[in-house]
Amino acid sequence: MKLSDIMGHAGLAGYAQIALLLFFGVFLAVVWRLYFSSARHSYEAAARLPLEADPTELPARPEGPR
Amino acid sequence: MTAAAAPLDRFSYDDDIVRKFLWATILWGVVGMLVGLVIALQLANPAFNLGLEYTSFGRLRPLHTNAVIFAFAGNAFFCGCYYSSQRLLKARMFSDGLSRFHFWGWQAIIVAAAITLPLGYTQAKEYAELEWPMDIAIAVVWVAFGINFFGTIARRRERHLYVALWFYIASIVTVAILHIFNNLSLPAAPFKSYSIYAGVQDAFMQWWYGHNAVAFFLTTPFLGLMYYFLPKAADRPVFSYRLSILHFWSLVFMYIWAGPHHLHYTALPEWASTLGMLFSVMLWMPSWGGMVNGLLTLRGAWQKVVDDPILKFFVVGITAYGMSTFEGPMLSIKTVSALAHYTDWIIAHVHTAALGWNGFLTFGMIYWLAPRLFQAPLYSRKAAETHFWIATFGLLLYVVAIYAAGVTQGLMWRAFDTTGRLQYPDFVETVAKLLPMYWTRVIGGGLYIVGLLVMVWNLVMTWKRRPATYDVPVVLAAPLARHVPEPVLPVGTSVWARFTAARWHRNWEGLPLVFTVMTTVAVVVASLFEILPTFLIRSNVPTIASVTPYTPLELAGRDIYIREGCFNCHSQMIRPFRHETERYGEYSKPGEFVYDHPFLWGSRRIGPDLARQGGKYPDLWHVRHMEKPQSINPKSIMPPYAHLLRHDIDFDGIETRVGVMAMLGVPYGASIGKAAEQARAQARAIAAGVVAQGGPAGLETKEILALTAYLQRLGTDIRKVPTQTASAGARPEEH
Repeated sequence: MKLSDIMGHAGLAGYAQIALLLFFGVFLAVVWRLYFSSARHSYEAAARLPLEADPTELPARPEGPR
Repeated sequence: MTAAAAPLDRFSYDDDIVRKFLWATILWGVVGMLVGLVIALQLANPAFNLGLEYTSFGRLRPLHTNAVIFAFAGNAFFCGCYYSSQRLLKARMFSDGLSRFHFWGWQAIIVAAAITLPLGYTQAKEYAELEWPMDIAIAVVWVAFGINFFGTIARRRERHLYVALWFYIASIVTVAILHIFNNLSLPAAPFKSYSIYAGVQDAFMQWWYGHNAVAFFLTTPFLGLMYYFLPKAADRPVFSYRLSILHFWSLVFMYIWAGPHHLHYTALPEWASTLGMLFSVMLWMPSWGGMVNGLLTLRGAWQKVVDDPILKFFVVGITAYGMSTFEGPMLSIKTVSALAHYTDWIIAHVHTAALGWNGFLTFGMIYWLAPRLFQAPLYSRKAAETHFWIATFGLLLYVVAIYAAGVTQGLMWRAFDTTGRLQYPDFVETVAKLLPMYWTRVIGGGLYIVGLLVMVWNLVMTWKRRPATYDVPVVLAAPLARHVPEPVLPVGTSVWARFTAARWHRNWEGLPLVFTVMTTVAVVVASLFEILPTFLIRSNVPTIASVTPYTPLELAGRDIYIREGCFNCHSQMIRPFRHETERYGEYSKPGEFVYDHPFLWGSRRIGPDLARQGGKYPDLWHVRHMEKPQSINPKSIMPPYAHLLRHDIDFDGIETRVGVMAMLGVPYGASIGKAAEQARAQARAIAAGVVAQGGPAGLETKEILALTAYLQRLGTDIRKVPTQTASAGARPEEH
């Protein structure tokens, strides 16, 4: 008896749906976390991270035109 | 975000490595796109194959795709990743040595690809053509990149990982997984290997890889770049940080399932095909989440776009992303795929994405980076504007022509006349119709390259204005004190209150290792759910008793078919549609491919399908046709393969190759130890037949005979009477 015979008779036809439900659950958790949890306001600061200027010792040269 | 009292660290960013990657991006962009122009010319006129074996379409097309994906887009990702990661993490790269190893290792692999692909060394898997020594090198260099990247994260001075970094992490981890599992193979020679998977399973693995190469090499890394460089260029934060997180997780969870949409109506089990379609359609939403987030970042700042070529590139790039991620889900719907699969529509789709999204995002990023990296103002803003307009016009000309070509092709293949017969029974009619569109593509693609050359000139002129030595500013930042807690959120005492305060998720974000593990789990679990059943549940690939392994000579011929890249233009997969069975014969069954290491179903029909080619024409026809296709069919755009009539078959190598196939489970028992002898005997018989048909003598040892033997075998097994009692699995399958 091969592994494929065992798997073939294991009745796994429905497990893709189970995976779908699991994944949908994770999705709902992320949505809730972002839009409804008490931490939802903590992202304003994170969004500004790329725009923070690094304090440097040398004055940086003038940047190119933008 | 860190304790203010801590003493400041003094360090500098490594921009030298960013400059290196920037020049590599430009160099390989020019090379890869010029090769693209050459193969576009070859389709418009086969004379551009130059009659050389090294420059035929089948060998150059993989060079084009590998160069633009892994060399151009790859270096662009590394360039932006090294620049932005250091700044977002407030840390120099973990190791300058690893940075240099990553850079030079990657360029060495590209050079090796540029040499080996025209020489015909290929695994015959799209975007994974490079043979095993280079695959190992890729894995090593990628791991070095990963260590360097995660090492930098470990030494960071900013607690929160900005969302761009999440996209980088997902890309680095997933590309490693995809690359390793799709390339598992047994070497048969220094530059020859056979995939450990066969037929349906190989196809499944390949498109799991192929689609996710698009996802995790061309999409998520570039979304990461977008989330850093667009806010920088627009000087405002991203529209919605929360939306960026939502679409990050949705993309990571869904993309990995979408691969099977490349295999609709093939011998792939239908459940897998449907699953791939559903996830592809769902992907539309997270993809548009990214697009909307990008475009709305410019809300209230659209006047900046008028003046700024960088923002123009970003806006068109993100729009192209939105268009192609709408089109992708649409193409994944089975009925749409029925028309579009194997046609140039797919080529138009990928070029909207590659030229528009990857190309324009890269150009915008480079124009933003150049003055900062070269510490001199951009030489000509006007030239950048000109580049934008030329590239936009070229892009549109290219894709409109090829969309038209694709739909034309699809409709002509399926057209029946009033008597119920194929309206265009001769395949070449459907090719000749496309030539005006192919010439338009040459012009469009040519313009895009002209725009690129304008950028090269502009960058060189900017570089010439650089200071004698680059300033290396010393950055001051507080070290990340691990004992300093996160800003305390109101937390209740009950388990529920603690859960809803979501500190757990906040903690994940600060813990790259946990975050990386979660991403990996998302990718691996989805992959296993989808892929394992085809390997483990036997009913997915019903065997056919009359299907037997290729003879040693046919196997040698198959290797020549692979070497010449025939699969780039010819599919071997007849779908169960009346117009296909009328044109090509009985539709393909999963059980026909159980000995195909690798599978050769192809993804495109520039020429006709070959799945039932065996026995259609006499041997002499194949000899003449390969020598000069136009002598048989004056309108054919196939390159000549006259060298096959000159080169000798590698009889000595056949024994090893048959042995490796046997190790992979192909029942070659009777041929082991006698493979070369059997091959010579079969070649002599075919050569005698060719002479009897009035063909040239003296071909007994030539490669053309091996290829002919293979082509004459294709698709004939199901017509044979099985030599042994048919097993239960040999029943005719329903599709």
